[in-house]
Amino acid sequence: MDSDLDELESRTIFILREAFACASPLAMLWSIGKDSTALLWMVRKAFLGDVPFPIVLLDTGMEFDEVYAFRDWLTTEWTLPVRNELCPPESSVDQSLPPAARHAARKTAGLRAMHEREKYRGIILGIRRDEQAIRAKERIFSPRNADGSWDPRMQPPELWDYFTYDVPDGAHVRIHPLLDWTEIDIWRYTRRENIPYVPLYLAKNGKRFRSLGESNITSPIESDADTIDKVIAELEGTRQPERAGRKMDHESEDAFERLRTSGYM
Amino acid sequence: MVGDVDAGKSTILGRLLVDLEQVIPEKLAELEAMSSKRGVAVEYSFLLDSFQLERDQAITLDVSRVWLRTPERDFVFVDAPGHRELVRNMLSGASEVDAAILVVAADEGIQLQTRRHALFLKWFGFTEVVVAINKLDLCDDPQRVFEERKAEIGAFLDRLGVSPTAIVPIVARTGDNLARRASAMPWWNGPTLMEVLAPLRPKEGASDGPLRFVVQDVYRRDNDRLIAGRVESGRLRAGERLVFWPLQASAVVREIVRWPDVVEEAAAPAAVAIALDERIFVDRGAVASHAGDGPPIGHALQATVVWLGAQPLRAGEALRMRVATRDIPVTVQRIDEVVDEETLEGAPADEVAANHIAVVTLAARELIAADDETSGTSIGRFILTREGTIVAGGSVDRVVGRPRSEGATDVIAQISSVKTHERAMRNGHSGSVFWLTGLPSAGKSTVAMAVQRMLFDRGRHVYVLDGDTLRTTLNVDLGFSDDDRAENVRRTAAVAGVLADSGHVVICALISPFAAERERARAAYPQGFYEVYVSCDLPTAEKRDVKGHYKRARLGEIQHFTGISSPYEIPQSPEFVVDTTRHSVAESAAALLEFIEERVRLREGAPV
Repeated sequence: MDSDLDELESRTIFILREAFACASPLAMLWSIGKDSTALLWMVRKAFLGDVPFPIVLLDTGMEFDEVYAFRDWLTTEWTLPVRNELCPPESSVDQSLPPAARHAARKTAGLRAMHEREKYRGIILGIRRDEQAIRAKERIFSPRNADGSWDPRMQPPELWDYFTYDVPDGAHVRIHPLLDWTEIDIWRYTRRENIPYVPLYLAKNGKRFRSLGESNITSPIESDADTIDKVIAELEGTRQPERAGRKMDHESEDAFERLRTSGYM
Repeated sequence: MVGDVDAGKSTILGRLLVDLEQVIPEKLAELEAMSSKRGVAVEYSFLLDSFQLERDQAITLDVSRVWLRTPERDFVFVDAPGHRELVRNMLSGASEVDAAILVVAADEGIQLQTRRHALFLKWFGFTEVVVAINKLDLCDDPQRVFEERKAEIGAFLDRLGVSPTAIVPIVARTGDNLARRASAMPWWNGPTLMEVLAPLRPKEGASDGPLRFVVQDVYRRDNDRLIAGRVESGRLRAGERLVFWPLQASAVVREIVRWPDVVEEAAAPAAVAIALDERIFVDRGAVASHAGDGPPIGHALQATVVWLGAQPLRAGEALRMRVATRDIPVTVQRIDEVVDEETLEGAPADEVAANHIAVVTLAARELIAADDETSGTSIGRFILTREGTIVAGGSVDRVVGRPRSEGATDVIAQISSVKTHERAMRNGHSGSVFWLTGLPSAGKSTVAMAVQRMLFDRGRHVYVLDGDTLRTTLNVDLGFSDDDRAENVRRTAAVAGVLADSGHVVICALISPFAAERERARAAYPQGFYEVYVSCDLPTAEKRDVKGHYKRARLGEIQHFTGISSPYEIPQSPEFVVDTTRHSVAESAAALLEFIEERVRLREGAPV
């Protein structure tokens, strides 16, 4: 039995239920990638088949066609309360950021605009600590300022499973139910639970996407892994980081930190 | 990884990542570039310290997590900051780990933060710790210095009651005795750090402990109520009788749902939802156990806390406490002692400054159900909040129960040989509780008495429980403190529940100023409880002043008088409102009569 997956799943469900009970109004961001799709499946588990809050897509219009197709199919299949949020154009974001990071900044701006309108007190995101060294420092319930920014020097204590729910009016809490999962955990869980995923993750003509971002700033990796079993085997044998194909992480030493402190996922 | 700032915790982990070949060449090149940009040799800690500020100041600010794969097993390392201002971050990381490594810099020896971190580990329940003595390359006679440090830390841990799994000499910067044996330390025949860590096992799961099912929420599905929560310890099986604490409502598990499946059993740490065979009052914050195996309950507890608040903790302060999912107001009744990090002795104190460990006694208006920390269940640990901010973590030493709750904890109510609907059929109406709440002189008793007369004349079995009247008999021992008001409500509700169960229409007339207490009263008869707000503005009530109490309260002759010197929490969603400012007694009574009749009347064919 995959008891480690059971433990991870249980804690994620516990966190989701805490979020629903203590942070209202609540929304979840769905990037349509493997992580937030697995998380959506666990939302259904937590709420006994229901999805009791809006599932928000920050849409830059630049996702792959396969991603949009998958979104439309799963929305119907799981009857998801999806809200598509169009992000503001690139010209509207901080031009001092490196080019690829500006795309990420569009999402931040879209998120901020939505937040100002809907006044969510809790926003659920499927980020993981093993993805990136800045994300490795996140709390499960991470308070944000009124402008959505993150002050990593002032994170509240998070003892055992006691989280911070209270934030000043206008501010919100980012909720990260997948922080302790690794990339391999997500694939093993996706396989065990038979969760659907965008086919771009599987190899075609010797290439596959390990991480899915916008089509213009994400590159595939060399791979022959054309089944989920092969994907897992491939990951078990690699030291290459998951986000190597994400341009925005590598443009400068502090690129990702700047994105995150200003409110990026 | 714990220990003082600059002991080399992040460097150990960074170096291990490199030595165990977890870092790709491109990343190593990046590391070299960021190190030389800051004018330092390769700084392995940068692999962990990802914030610009951390790298610029060469200090860890917040906990980080790294995954390390070895041929034998995988590790998740939690790198904690050592700085004294960052204790909250250290605790956040340490609260989740299975084993701890205490790092001591050989050139500095045991510092205040070393002691403090060791104390925190003890408080978290660790009986063992791995010790690494780092930076031996800075010492002229490393072997002698190592032996000195080893004796020093060994003696300290011994006094603390924590035993060292091993004490290993290392040099993090060069990787000596981390993953590979140090040629520079030929005198060391003991294990490397990784050899010490390899056989460590995760903490035992809690599935063998006593059942504690923590309720997070109640979801309605079709016509069913599903109680969502987590089995924090023990096992839960369908068909078992559960007791929900602290109200001690009891019911049998009809079904365990692990969507999309229905399962027979759920063991810790499963998150499930359960359906019960009876409709009892359960909400977020309750904890279920098996009958006869419940937690102690009481109105106070003694606990060891780590204080993290910016302002010191003072006796008498009002805070909120979260035990599992329950969030209740508490008062710091007493600071029993504050622990001195040097001597490890406790000394009495008036306040607790940040980052100190203290033993305190906390009192609550509501009943608390909590295990002592050694039982290993999650309701032995709690946090304290001040204005929503987490300001302390605590472990329960003991629950201080009032005498009346002792001996009653394992009792299961008998099932009555006469059913509720049988009584209702004979009486011609169902039993219910109508709870009239409002300011003094709002007209509660007057309206209650008028309605009682009318109901009686219609052949209803009706009884008024009047707050003042009960205070001359059942509640004669109670005063008007918050605690006593709560107890007054509890007893009255219990009597009302019995009368309603026997088929009576019960009208309670009680100021009952606190919303939480009224909500608790509802639990005495959840199947037929109606909160009725007898609304009257304060000037009108004060002008009436039927008993002359307002006048005396204004003169200061009566303390804790609701509306004057004690708060009244207006019901947010009462089932019915009677407004005596605008309506006469007769009008108010008539409206209430109609409301009551509608609720207790038997409907043809409808279940009662």
